[in-house]
Amino acid sequence: MIAGFKERFEQRHDRARALKRQGTKVVGCFYGLAPKEIVHASGMLPVQLIEDRDARYEAKSGLLPFLCGMSKNLAGQIASNVFDYLDGVMVSTVCDTNRHILDIWVHQRAFPNQWLVRAPTKDDEGAVDYFANELRRLAAELGAVSGTPVTDDGLRESIALFNENRALFRRFYDARPTADVSAEDAVYVFASALTTPVEEHNALMRELIGSLSPGVPRPDPKLMLSGLNIPMAVDVIRMVEKYGAAVVTDDFTHNARYGSTEVPVDGDPFRALARGYLRRVPAPGLYPIEGRAAGIRDAMERAGAQGLIYLIQLYCDAYALEYAVLKERFDRWKLPHLRLEAEATPGSIEQLNVRVQSFIESLL
Amino acid sequence: MAELDLKAIQKRVSAGASYRKMVAAAEAGAPVCVASAGIPNEVMHAMGVCPIYPESLAAISSGIGKAGEFFDESKAHALSSIICSYTRCGLGICWTSKTAFGAIPRPNIAITDVNVCGLHLTWWAYMEDHFTLPTFYMDMPATTDPGAPDYIDYYESQVREMVAFVERTTSRRLDMDRLHESVRSSDLAGHHWKKIMELRRNRPSPMSFRSLAGQILPMVTALGDPDTTDYYEALYHQYLADAKEGKTPAKGGEKYRLIWDGIPIWHHLQLINYFEEKGANFVWEPYTSLNWGNKTRTGRLDLDRPFHTLAEKYTNVWTNKPVAKRFDYFDQAIRDYEVDGLVTFSNRSCRPMSMGQHELVQLVTERHDLPVLIFEGDQADPDGFSWADARTRVDGFFEVLEARRKS
Repeated sequence: MIAGFKERFEQRHDRARALKRQGTKVVGCFYGLAPKEIVHASGMLPVQLIEDRDARYEAKSGLLPFLCGMSKNLAGQIASNVFDYLDGVMVSTVCDTNRHILDIWVHQRAFPNQWLVRAPTKDDEGAVDYFANELRRLAAELGAVSGTPVTDDGLRESIALFNENRALFRRFYDARPTADVSAEDAVYVFASALTTPVEEHNALMRELIGSLSPGVPRPDPKLMLSGLNIPMAVDVIRMVEKYGAAVVTDDFTHNARYGSTEVPVDGDPFRALARGYLRRVPAPGLYPIEGRAAGIRDAMERAGAQGLIYLIQLYCDAYALEYAVLKERFDRWKLPHLRLEAEATPGSIEQLNVRVQSFIESLL
Repeated sequence: MAELDLKAIQKRVSAGASYRKMVAAAEAGAPVCVASAGIPNEVMHAMGVCPIYPESLAAISSGIGKAGEFFDESKAHALSSIICSYTRCGLGICWTSKTAFGAIPRPNIAITDVNVCGLHLTWWAYMEDHFTLPTFYMDMPATTDPGAPDYIDYYESQVREMVAFVERTTSRRLDMDRLHESVRSSDLAGHHWKKIMELRRNRPSPMSFRSLAGQILPMVTALGDPDTTDYYEALYHQYLADAKEGKTPAKGGEKYRLIWDGIPIWHHLQLINYFEEKGANFVWEPYTSLNWGNKTRTGRLDLDRPFHTLAEKYTNVWTNKPVAKRFDYFDQAIRDYEVDGLVTFSNRSCRPMSMGQHELVQLVTERHDLPVLIFEGDQADPDGFSWADARTRVDGFFEVLEARRKS
């Protein structure tokens, strides 16, 4: 059944188009901190915009050369009409590129509708008040597009569904280090969540967790992989395995990290959603340094990982700066780690071989 | 206004003088704050807090060719060269505890704006953590509508919380009379700055962008200080006199009037002179005309509502406006300032400034059919910048300008 996750991820565009033909409106979310619950509550399908393995899209982007490959890859996909099924896009800021690419999309009229999530960076009561109002504004606009007004009860139901998804992720990541799931398959478990209707993904996750059994012991050294770009992560996992090691857990914005907290379901659902998103999911700059570093260390301990690979996509300044900040902690804790900085192209990935091999040998 | 007055005042507001003021105040017991550009320094001035601005210090260090050791320091701390050069140089300054002018006192607090760019959050969070500095974040959510009333109200709450933070972490208390005086002083400085900018409508325009790039410093770092107000008043009168005399930095007379889009290339400011040597002058830039000064609807600060007026001013961020809105400013400036060409600096350090430039150029050329020259490089890090290549490109641009002039 694990193949179902990969299949859903790889067929994400066809599946979205099929739902669109059946009358479901689809909203692209960019990136991981867009409040999908509110899209769902408006009767639309939230799908995350995800970089494609085909690096040729970058050449079609028309973006500045010093922007990250992810943004260029997405812009190239847009130029190639890959996202022709989208009724709109919702951008929630995690970095300057992801924020300001919206300006370009608006200028290009790339999508029929676009929403910028005006999220505060704090989580005090003033910020929650402001963000709750912002979410109400978004809900009204989304409802106007979908024809389904967002009600308090509807939003609570959507929050409960995504909370279930988060809880299932926590259970999956608790079991994953010793379960019979390969590191590459595990990537597709969370990647498919980004584009699959939450009800369907929850059902798949329940089935998966119910069927997990102990796998063969993983070889040493066991590693954790922290990154952002999904195809690059798969390439690095394969590289690690080629040199006899194993990735036993991973740290992406949208897996265990995303599942690390639940949105409260009591009281005003807009305030609950505001509380649930502000500074809850660790992301560069949006989370205390100590907590972010300790979160990685603790996840490594839980999974029995002896080393960390921190994978930065070239020109991703958010991750590059976060690494320098985290490194002080990692060095102090004597936590073995390897920073990799590369583009999502075969040639660039290929050059990582020597460094990955050396890192693995250093841990033996 | 007599020229001697301007020179005397200039000595009080120069970068070196600001540094010496800061050191003296710190020695006298004033709290020192590591501050980011774009926070209301009128409030800090009113509360007697001495700001250190890493971004401005990075620009100055680069401009005088003394940023190298700070970049080296950042490399030693694993900062990738893809990270903004202000961040790298600014952190280098903090790690080495010195500037191009000398040692800096140990800061007591830190305050940052989170909307200038996304790196500021991590940058200041790092300083909070590494230097154990009490740190305040002026929250300003991403937006495409910075003039929305609820948006301004939210930032006003941040300005008030900033005061509470300073009172909580230092011995300083806000005296409302001092705040009123600081805002009044800032308003006058901004008013004169706007009048200076408008003098550039004269043919020829009397001022050089290279000079303005340095003269803008007190507008960024020392608002509220009466010296700053005096300075811009004196500067205005000097430029007014220059305009009446028909002075221009363009050699042989002002043949071409240009727009510069972007931050100055601090490490090669002589590039601006090269344009001037060839008979061109920059007469408008968003950096000077829209980024600083009294950025309110009326162009003045409302002295009766100091917190609100500061909120309106500081939320009016150029890069938070949609491309179409940014184009409106260019469209107006091209007509008001009778512009002949556009020079765009695609700055790899500053994604908020650079993203959308290409689309803006498209709109400008569609409406006005102006020649455009695009430079790629970095605002403070000279690595990879070729002076010879830059001059060649400028030469080519002038050939286009010349050809259009003849046709």
